[in-house]
Amino acid sequence: MKWATRAGVHIDRAACAWLIRRRIDAEAEFVFVDDPAQVPSGVIAFDMRGVELGHHGGDCSFETVLRRYELTDPVLWKIAEIVHEADLDDGRFDAPEAPGLDVILRGLSMTCADERVLELTGPLFDGMYEYYRRAFLLGRPPA
Amino acid sequence: MRGTADRWVLLAYRMPRQPSTPRIAVWRKLDRLGVARLGDGLVALPADARTREQLDWIAEEITEMGGSVTLWLARPGSTAQEQAIAAGMRQARSAEYQAVITQARAAASARPGERARTAKRLQAELRRIGRRDFFPPAERDAARLAVQELSRRSAPDVTETTGDSVEAAGGEPR
Repeated sequence: MKWATRAGVHIDRAACAWLIRRRIDAEAEFVFVDDPAQVPSGVIAFDMRGVELGHHGGDCSFETVLRRYELTDPVLWKIAEIVHEADLDDGRFDAPEAPGLDVILRGLSMTCADERVLELTGPLFDGMYEYYRRAFLLGRPPA
Repeated sequence: MRGTADRWVLLAYRMPRQPSTPRIAVWRKLDRLGVARLGDGLVALPADARTREQLDWIAEEITEMGGSVTLWLARPGSTAQEQAIAAGMRQARSAEYQAVITQARAAASARPGERARTAKRLQAELRRIGRRDFFPPAERDAARLAVQELSRRSAPDVTETTGDSVEAAGGEPR
């Protein structure tokens, strides 16, 4: 399936793309557009204004995707808190990891093309997932 | 100190008078972003990837709440009017930094635990102000110094607990 999002990928789009590939569509292909009107037909758009998979009711797009596809994995919801704060910084969650993640993604978007940002952030989110999975099982930060 | 931004992102919006809660929520979010209010239902921020996205999502929220909204990229018609807007924004941040300085000084004479808590809170406040500070005023550095000083003075003082480790505690202030 093809998926579209805005060019100049930042945290929410990078996290959504990872989530889509890992949990929704392993064959996902991503296209990047500058304007919502450029989204080709038959393509699912995310993290854009006026689409289902965007910000809604104070949620960021990553949280919206989790809800829409009924993904209840608590580890993903933990990552969602960090993505939410890195993206919106509205203090809804206590996520001290967020400012660091925001800097990493801003920096990558300055030095890499969007496709490359997704290549690099895939393993990053895989690692985060494993870390919080172990934290969840242990009930404390894993070594 | 940046005097001008050249490119601005403008949000023009109208929301129903009632219910007032969403209108106030939007007002607060715009405040938090440090917007310049150019008129009734018209706000502006210097344009960059972050501010465009921030206003884009607020626009979406206003639409969902039944309001009408348009988002524009704009250039100022004259340098003088841009500088006047920038000066207003700088002054608003200046007042926020000044409030931090006042609180940091007041906390200097508080009890150690209270001092440490205030230092932490003011550090977070400085980060929040910094994110909406597009035209930094002179008070920014003074506010940072005041909070640094408070944090340094509220670091656990080893001499109080062990009595004989003045050197371990750092001794002289840096």
